[in-house]
Amino acid sequence: MTPRIIAANLGVRLRCFYRERSAMFFTFAFPVILVLVFGTIFTKPEHLNFDLSVQDLSRSASSARFLERLTADQTFRITPVPIDVDATRYAKEHKQNLVLVIPKDFAALQARHLDPRGGPSSVPLTYVYDPSSTSVTTKIQLLSAMVAEANQKVTGSPPLFKLVPESILPERYRFIEFFVPGIIAMAIMTSCLSNALNMNAELRQKGILRKLATTPITRADWLVASMLYQLILSVVSTAAILVVSYAVFDVRLHIGIWLPLILVVEVIAFVGIGMLLTPFAKEAESASAVANAFLFPMMFLSGTFFPVEMMPAFLQSFAKLLPLYYVNEALRAAMIFVDDPATLQSVGVTAVFAAVVFAAGTFKTRWDEAT
Amino acid sequence: MPNTEHAIVVDRLCKRYGTLRAVDDISFTVNKGEVFAFLGPNGAGKSVTVEIIETIRNATSGKVAVLGLDVAKSKAEVVRRIGVLPQNFSSFDRITVRESLRYYARVFGCKADVDALMDLTNLRGKADARFNTLSGGLKQRLGIAAALVNDPEVVFLDEPTTGLDPHARRQVWDVLKGLKNRGKTVFLTTNYMEEAELLADTVAIISRGKIVAIDSPARLTEEHAEQTRLTLESIDPAALGLIAKMGFAPKPTSAGNICIPVRNPDDVRVILEEVQKAGLALPGLDVRKPNLEEVFLKLTDEPRDDGASGGPR
Repeated sequence: MTPRIIAANLGVRLRCFYRERSAMFFTFAFPVILVLVFGTIFTKPEHLNFDLSVQDLSRSASSARFLERLTADQTFRITPVPIDVDATRYAKEHKQNLVLVIPKDFAALQARHLDPRGGPSSVPLTYVYDPSSTSVTTKIQLLSAMVAEANQKVTGSPPLFKLVPESILPERYRFIEFFVPGIIAMAIMTSCLSNALNMNAELRQKGILRKLATTPITRADWLVASMLYQLILSVVSTAAILVVSYAVFDVRLHIGIWLPLILVVEVIAFVGIGMLLTPFAKEAESASAVANAFLFPMMFLSGTFFPVEMMPAFLQSFAKLLPLYYVNEALRAAMIFVDDPATLQSVGVTAVFAAVVFAAGTFKTRWDEAT
Repeated sequence: MPNTEHAIVVDRLCKRYGTLRAVDDISFTVNKGEVFAFLGPNGAGKSVTVEIIETIRNATSGKVAVLGLDVAKSKAEVVRRIGVLPQNFSSFDRITVRESLRYYARVFGCKADVDALMDLTNLRGKADARFNTLSGGLKQRLGIAAALVNDPEVVFLDEPTTGLDPHARRQVWDVLKGLKNRGKTVFLTTNYMEEAELLADTVAIISRGKIVAIDSPARLTEEHAEQTRLTLESIDPAALGLIAKMGFAPKPTSAGNICIPVRNPDDVRVILEEVQKAGLALPGLDVRKPNLEEVFLKLTDEPRDDGASGGPR
């Protein structure tokens, strides 16, 4: 291994990358776009708004008060439904997944319930819903909670049982906090693997590899230069993801000494895997196919987009064989849970993996014979 | 042991791929300071042999020494002392001529005079042009310059002018002549016989993995080529008998011509006079001196039409 040769190769690789604007865009902008899109879709705003159609057949002062209470915390935005239409038909025609119907005798029934001499009675609030809609369950749950609260307030006494939430996390933890470390790990993996494979196929196809084989560059020189190159891209890409996440979603993540360490270990692991896969990807076309065959299962099964715990048990065991799983675990342990022993454990597994892959990558002594 | 006069010694070299003998027990030497042209049809084992000498491939058996060093044992040392222009040379697309040369110089760890190299290969005006904007001839010249960054004692040029137009080819030849004048040993493989004839001190011809001839171009031609040939174009077949009676051996060709091997230019005059006397019309004629191409075609088999090119991969 010669530092001079490594520096020369690193310089050429960085120049090529800087001059190829489309590669630069995909490397840096793509993960940022993912963060923006998924963050916007899945991060619940402070005040969640749902549309609720209400057909108020009673049109009384008490029904108006009830609706006022329903909209007080701005969870629901009420759309009035004309009283002369059928609620079911209205829901179908206007594609409303939930229509609440307040009965005509709402005021009378409420009055009878409140009157100690009135005997047991209740006010039926019918809701017409579309079970095929995905968001309707949440809306019904919210509505039930509100009705229960309203019931309890009417009786005037404090509730007997009360749930008190207490988070195991020091700070508020939203989807975006879960998502950002996953995207960092994914962006680095994608860039390392596909760059290693595409670069190699390109060098091979063009015949540059044949020239390099007649120079003093060794396989180890090349591998180390590739790793340094990917490390630089990874640092820039991670910084871009973090800046956008802080600016747009105000994420609360812990950024300490673990983060750079995890980046280094991940880069070594995935550039090494890329090197080992090059014999299967001699042409540019097969290079991206081979890269994707590895990237996609890894991306979906290692807990990048959703927690591994959501998957069936056998897939969870499978995930524990994937290097990206440990990178995700390490990043989340370090950035969200600030749990040093857990971070160390996952970094350790990744580091052992990286060392094995690196050794295997340099062990193939003659990288030129295959040309 | 290798003679110090020899830049390259190839001794009983074999390379097999399965049952295919790509290189079949060949031996030859290349003198220091000479231009050695290595010729052979596609698939004859030419590139494999060169790549073994360049240390890119391993031999199955036999020994190759470059500058007295065994290529199998002293790869690193050999690589430092040779310069290689591989077939279809290519470099990084977005890197300029100057940057490419600096890169190779750094890789070899030598303080190459990049400007002098660009002058030698006539690339000064293209110093800041990126590789993917260069024409074929410019790319080859950059490849030659890149092969010289480490001031090598032996330069390998694998088909340096393949695919170039006649102007670009002549420019590359000028560069090669410059190398020869500087006393470099040049190992040249080519498909162009005129290139070998023009530049080479020694020519070796390989066919089906074996060396079939090795000598100077002049001696090869003398030894193997037909004599000077006179071709009478579109002539009356009656001429055939007439010329045969004169003691020559005329042969009718498929194009309706008559081809006559002759010993000297005077024979041409005699034959033409005879034809004129007989009153035969003569629409055209061609007198051809013997050349290396004939030697090549005679010594190597008909090109095998099996799509093989560049040897096994």
